Amino acid sequence: MEKDTLLLLEKVNQLSLSESERDTVLGFFEKRECDMEKLNAIDTENVERMVHVLPINTVVREDVAKKLFTRDDLQKGAPETMDGFWQVPRVVE
Amino acid sequence: MKFETVIGLEVHVEMATKSKIFCSCSAEFGGEQNDHVCPACCGMPGMLPIVNKKVVDLGMTAGMMLNCHINRTTTFDKKSYYYPDLPAAYQTTQWFAPVAVNGTVEIETANGKKSVRIKQIHMEEDAGKLVHDDWTGTSLVDFNRTSVPLIEIVSQPDLSSAEEVVAYLERLRSLLRFAKVSDCRMEQGSMRCDVNLSVRPEGSDKLGVRTEMKNMNSLSAIVRAIEYETARHIDAIENGTEELVQETRRWDDVKGKSFAMRSKETAGDYRYFPDPNIMPVVIDDAWYDAIKASLPEFPEVKKARYTTELGLGDYDADILTGSRALCDCFEGALAVCGNAKEAANWLISDCMNVLNKKQLTADQLTIDGKALGELIVLVSDGKVGRGNAKKILEAMFEQELSPAKYAEENGFIVSNDTGLIEKTVREAIAADQKAVADFKGGKEKALMALFGKCMKQLKGNCDPQLLRTMLIDEINKA
Amino acid sequence: MKKIMLDQMILTDCCPTNAGSKMLDGYTGLFNATVVEKLKEAGYEIAGKLPVGEFAIDLVGESCFAGADKASAAAKTLENDTVMAHIALDVNGAPRRVAAQNGLVFAKPTYGTVSRFGMIPVACSGECVGVMARNAADCREVLCTIVGKDEKDGTMHTDEVCKNAAAAAAPVKKVAVLKMPTDANDKIEATKAKMAANGIEICEIDAGVIASANAAWNMLMCAELCNNVSRYDGVKYGYRTKNYKNLDELYTNSRTEAFGLTLKTAILYGSDVLSTKNYMAKYDKAMRVRRVIVEAFAGIFADFDAVLLPAVSKMAYTEKDSAFEENAYTAPASVTGLPAVVTNGVQLIGPAFSDGALLALAEALEKEGK
Repeated sequence: MEKDTLLLLEKVNQLSLSESERDTVLGFFEKRECDMEKLNAIDTENVERMVHVLPINTVVREDVAKKLFTRDDLQKGAPETMDGFWQVPRVVE
Repeated sequence: MKFETVIGLEVHVEMATKSKIFCSCSAEFGGEQNDHVCPACCGMPGMLPIVNKKVVDLGMTAGMMLNCHINRTTTFDKKSYYYPDLPAAYQTTQWFAPVAVNGTVEIETANGKKSVRIKQIHMEEDAGKLVHDDWTGTSLVDFNRTSVPLIEIVSQPDLSSAEEVVAYLERLRSLLRFAKVSDCRMEQGSMRCDVNLSVRPEGSDKLGVRTEMKNMNSLSAIVRAIEYETARHIDAIENGTEELVQETRRWDDVKGKSFAMRSKETAGDYRYFPDPNIMPVVIDDAWYDAIKASLPEFPEVKKARYTTELGLGDYDADILTGSRALCDCFEGALAVCGNAKEAANWLISDCMNVLNKKQLTADQLTIDGKALGELIVLVSDGKVGRGNAKKILEAMFEQELSPAKYAEENGFIVSNDTGLIEKTVREAIAADQKAVADFKGGKEKALMALFGKCMKQLKGNCDPQLLRTMLIDEINKA
Repeated sequence: MKKIMLDQMILTDCCPTNAGSKMLDGYTGLFNATVVEKLKEAGYEIAGKLPVGEFAIDLVGESCFAGADKASAAAKTLENDTVMAHIALDVNGAPRRVAAQNGLVFAKPTYGTVSRFGMIPVACSGECVGVMARNAADCREVLCTIVGKDEKDGTMHTDEVCKNAAAAAAPVKKVAVLKMPTDANDKIEATKAKMAANGIEICEIDAGVIASANAAWNMLMCAELCNNVSRYDGVKYGYRTKNYKNLDELYTNSRTEAFGLTLKTAILYGSDVLSTKNYMAKYDKAMRVRRVIVEAFAGIFADFDAVLLPAVSKMAYTEKDSAFEENAYTAPASVTGLPAVVTNGVQLIGPAFSDGALLALAEALEKEGK
């Protein structure tokens, strides 16, 4: 793992690490190389990926609208709101 | 050098469901800000997505209307990015196995017919809405639209002009409205598109640099944007005015220009992966067949049937097939009254009048076709006068009712009690000798005045032909 | 009234749920998790919340944010016999390690038999709500209360299947012992001896691909975690930095200030695994290996009723130990969704829906111990 790649990962994930934290994380990534080796030792050529461990499908609900929560409840713990909107610094397009 | 424009569209259509795609909040347009919201669609932890079956129904319907192959196992995936209108910082969409693939849409322009290939249709959730507040210099977030179900229809780059794009969008709108997938109202954002455009020398098989204009929601703006962007690309290629780069641009319809977007959404890696909380949706034969059977005739097939089989004029057939609601009501009425011309007239003049008064569109017609048919029969059998029938029709817009029962309850049944008519006519004549004299003197209009008075006296419940005959007889006797 | 404790991953509408993170310090959910509703309905008292490591991915809770109430860790709470059981979300094996190192029982049920509605989500494809108790009988009683289909969780078996799993009682007659190195081998040997005394046939087998379960789980778990915790951005609820001039700084500083290093590391690793560049080689590969491991277990269960393996590498950890290696023992059940029961410092894994049978075995082994 190059440091540049790590910086990009930080940016994509909205994180900003200190230099010493970066060393720790790079060390972690290095250790994970052995995970990769373990996986690569297993032949998965003709194996289908497994997303779910339970063999069920088609869990759907009927199209019925329900109102179970109020705006006031949902915004009770909000850092900043205005007139029933959540508020953030101006988005620049 | 001559150039050609290569355009592909990604069209987003909000589906006509009552509730959102993964939670039970209302999907209705409008409402107070953040009123149609729950912990799931405002990004709080702990709730799990359960797929709205109607969304899959409509996704399949759209796929079939656009001649697509339906994937019998369709799955949902997560797409990650940060933006304030995306509360969970991921959108659940379909990346690996969309509901429908490989379709076609036929369009017609001045240059002839063309088949536009559809790459895929996938189901996904909409994002919320941002309002920019100039007073505070902040952005305000409304999650009412968050998780409202969408389909995204991705075309191949088969379009080559603004005219074709408009024809394609109008065709999509017509088909999707007909199949009741969506009301496709561009002004409300329930239909909007991203335009991918590049320009290349005519005859070249290499695509030029592609730019994408996002979230276009008016046909006229799309036309202007395509013309502007085409000219900008040609200028850049021919005159080297700027270096074209693959990017997302925002169209400013007021300034008449496109601008490169700097939003975060355009940066980074979406890191798609299968959603572990949503099991695959498997469409079995019964489900597939039920949707297939529910598909409407294409509008042009209906039109041909209306003109050739039912003998309607082109004009009438065009108006009726412009709206699925009109067609449904027409066909319902026809099944009862058996008179296509009469049913068409009632819809095109009388029903449309009421709709216009109420400032509603044809798609918002809610009256039951069967009831309209019954009303038409009441009139043609001479049981209800036409004037009273219009009153019944207006009542039908307010409530579900049986026209015969309503007519009876409100005294709208024609009485052919000749004694009563005779008495009414005599009284009218006695009260207005001047009119009698005028009529005898050759003034046809005077008869109409007397006729009107009698009809009013009889509350409209009289066969007009009978009244007229008796009136003339009585005048002649006088 | 019997008292039950919950860990800080389980939402309740009456008191805050912080997931062990400064990000959610003071955050109160708007509804009760389904397991909470089920416990209340059955007449249990929810006595309080116990701390967890940040988003429950660490060894035994050490990454819980500074300032959190860590007064009563799970093991300590269960020393007090007024509390019957503790419900915990098993994401990366932490509750199994706590149970193993403190002589407690923990049952991680078959995936899809206990509702996850109301859990703070981390690695949804494998995490399960489990029960910690002093003995197998208490554990089974509480598990039987919380299992069952929930319409609000789309990844569940039918109600009948869920209930039968917890109540399963087919006797375990043949056990495979997975050869995995551990300092706690004496526990394995003691358990083998008790099993033998109970007439259970024992056979040692190589761990094979099962030894690679944690390599796959580390990728799957971190990727899902990265996605699940991306929602915490300082906008809607939870921690918001005081230090920002624009939206980008609001996001970055809120997350950077509120998250601990273990969590940040997992987020970055998960993001890397999912990146366009690595998706096929890493995430997709891990999903394929997941199937290989599921099949390996199926092969074992063709001949055996259960697998015996260690739950931990040692009985106490130091700062040098990492959950991403220590989970070699717990990942096999996490990645496959199989039921696991920790008892007497060791771990039993059975085929899907054998939860009750594993607990019955644990109960038999307890008696032998006394």
